[in-house]
Amino acid sequence: MAFAVALLSRTKQYTECPPLMEEEQYIDSRQKLETILKPLEGAEETGLIIHEELCSGCGNCVVACPVNVANDPYGSGRGFGPTNGKVIFRVENGKVKAANIEECRRFGKDRILCRACIDPCPTEAIEFV
Amino acid sequence: MTEPITWTCTGCALLCEDILVYIKDNRVEKVEHACLKGKARVYGCKHTAMSTVDQEEVDINNAIIQAAEILEKASNPSLYGWSNSTSEAQVAGIELAQTLGACIDSTSSFCQGITINEIMNGSIPSCTLEDVREKADVVIYWGADPMSSHPRHLSRYSYFPRGELRQRGYEEDRTAICIDVTESRTAKMCKGMFFRIPPGGDAEFMRALMDGLAGRVPKLSYDFDVKRILELAAVLKKAEFGVIFAGLGLVYSIKEEFDLISEFMSTLNRFSNFFLIPMAGHFNMRGFNHNLHKKTGFIHRLGFTKNGPVSGVEYSVLEQLKHGADAVMVVGSDPLASLPLSITKRLKDIPLILVDPCANLTSRVADVTIPCVASGIEVGGTAVRLDGKNMDISPLIQGDGLSDEMVIRRIMEEVN
Amino acid sequence: MALDVGKFIKAPEYDVKIISRRDVFQASVCEEDRFSDECLELSALIVLDAAEMKRMGIQDGANVRLTSKWGSVVVRARASPREEQKGLGFMVNGPWVNALVSDEAPDGIPAFKDIEAKITISKDGITGIQELHLL
Repeated sequence: MAFAVALLSRTKQYTECPPLMEEEQYIDSRQKLETILKPLEGAEETGLIIHEELCSGCGNCVVACPVNVANDPYGSGRGFGPTNGKVIFRVENGKVKAANIEECRRFGKDRILCRACIDPCPTEAIEFV
Repeated sequence: MTEPITWTCTGCALLCEDILVYIKDNRVEKVEHACLKGKARVYGCKHTAMSTVDQEEVDINNAIIQAAEILEKASNPSLYGWSNSTSEAQVAGIELAQTLGACIDSTSSFCQGITINEIMNGSIPSCTLEDVREKADVVIYWGADPMSSHPRHLSRYSYFPRGELRQRGYEEDRTAICIDVTESRTAKMCKGMFFRIPPGGDAEFMRALMDGLAGRVPKLSYDFDVKRILELAAVLKKAEFGVIFAGLGLVYSIKEEFDLISEFMSTLNRFSNFFLIPMAGHFNMRGFNHNLHKKTGFIHRLGFTKNGPVSGVEYSVLEQLKHGADAVMVVGSDPLASLPLSITKRLKDIPLILVDPCANLTSRVADVTIPCVASGIEVGGTAVRLDGKNMDISPLIQGDGLSDEMVIRRIMEEVN
Repeated sequence: MALDVGKFIKAPEYDVKIISRRDVFQASVCEEDRFSDECLELSALIVLDAAEMKRMGIQDGANVRLTSKWGSVVVRARASPREEQKGLGFMVNGPWVNALVSDEAPDGIPAFKDIEAKITISKDGITGIQELHLL
């Protein structure tokens, strides 16, 4: 059970379980896990995934993210493009990009289930897995 | 990395002035803060227009001479487009129309012209987008879907940003309302405040809201929960600074009784403080209205007749394309893609000139095509934002072609 | 040899009121290249209510012929992810929807958002931009 929890919080990978990888009787389970965990590929530490093909670069997340607002109150907080490098979200070539993930409210020990970037997205381009 | 240039985006009439563009070797390398539409505008089109006469490639001077000949020969030439041009090119176009005694009209003719006219003559109160950002607590997207047409509208001005009087964030400080026939991407942003009406049901909904504001029980011919209308009326009454963003859904639905909008605004403003902003699409659609108004007192659908400038539906691009014009010059538009084919098919039968940076459907049938550099990319100037604010646009890169203004001035020289 | 009955039965036709609208994705790909497959894919498209499509026997992604008094085009039908009003169809502004718009515009404004048309399943391919030109 502890391994399952570690797997979900992504402190461990399923490939780190020797029997699963080595014993034939677990082939089915391994394949199932691969499918289940597929969306986690490419996710940030916080589980953040940006589906770039769905993003219209509207910048709603840039302006709504509380970290962007706190770290760039007169730029992102006022609706402009970010004016410094301390923000999480910024739009480049028409698509949103994430950086400074350690600043995200979903990061670390005291994480909370913040939805401030998900709810304002008109195209469901942002997801946490 | 090179230092970026701060640029005003010509992707739509929001004219976002906070875009950073990185240029290397006179080419765009990266763009920051622009939405997908802005990005497409900065990078430009894949197929540029060629200089042609009768679909054969020619020297640009020959194309200009041929264009001038066509316009001079015509007894009723019509000049159309203009919403993707700087104000400087628009002014040149108006002068050319006057020289030729031609008709001139822009895309505003079948878009927000009707709304802009009412705002310019003072019948409908309007405000700036900065006012919206600093003060607005209630915004209504009516028949408008900025998330699909003006992607940064909500993030830059109307909903998400902190403003002078709206410091606590949109969840607490602002109420966004959407009235539309479909649950659009913008409606999705207006949680619990989406009002789905049937197509053409806008006027009735407006009257029902006026009833609600006046404390009467609203009546509607279509099925709608009256309680929700009363709740909405209560929200509007309490607004400190309200703004209606009028989209084409509203304009088209209500165009036959357009006075209702000013009546609605007056009723609303007996209780509250509301303004209206038209959702103009192309970057300088409103500029054409302002520039023509300055010169003639009319905003569009204009004929330079023997008796002076006259405006009316007979001078509208639609009427001109259908049967009025005997030669048409299009500047910065693609009528074959954006207007009814039932109307534009006549363009194949009359001399047609296109001035545009890009190859498009119209260039494929035009008798003369004259390439110009893209406004806002290779040539700067001024433009008018959708709320009426004048904006400066500086060019991004060095172009080696003519601007649309220069093409028009060259045609004028030939005509003279 | 089995008889292909389907060949002799005319696919049922339904009324649809088409409303044109904007789409940021279509606008940007068409600005980049009006003649691209992506521009066609995002423009030659009608979005309908999923339940309505089921009633009409139109599968998500199927080709449909739209015919108005002014023209006829084949486009792809897509189910809306949200519930839509019955009898409505949404198309993105562009040459495909404009092939169906009336030439009557006494006030100078065409009925871009009020297009009466018939919809029927079609075995024809999506109308290409060249074909539109010949209309």
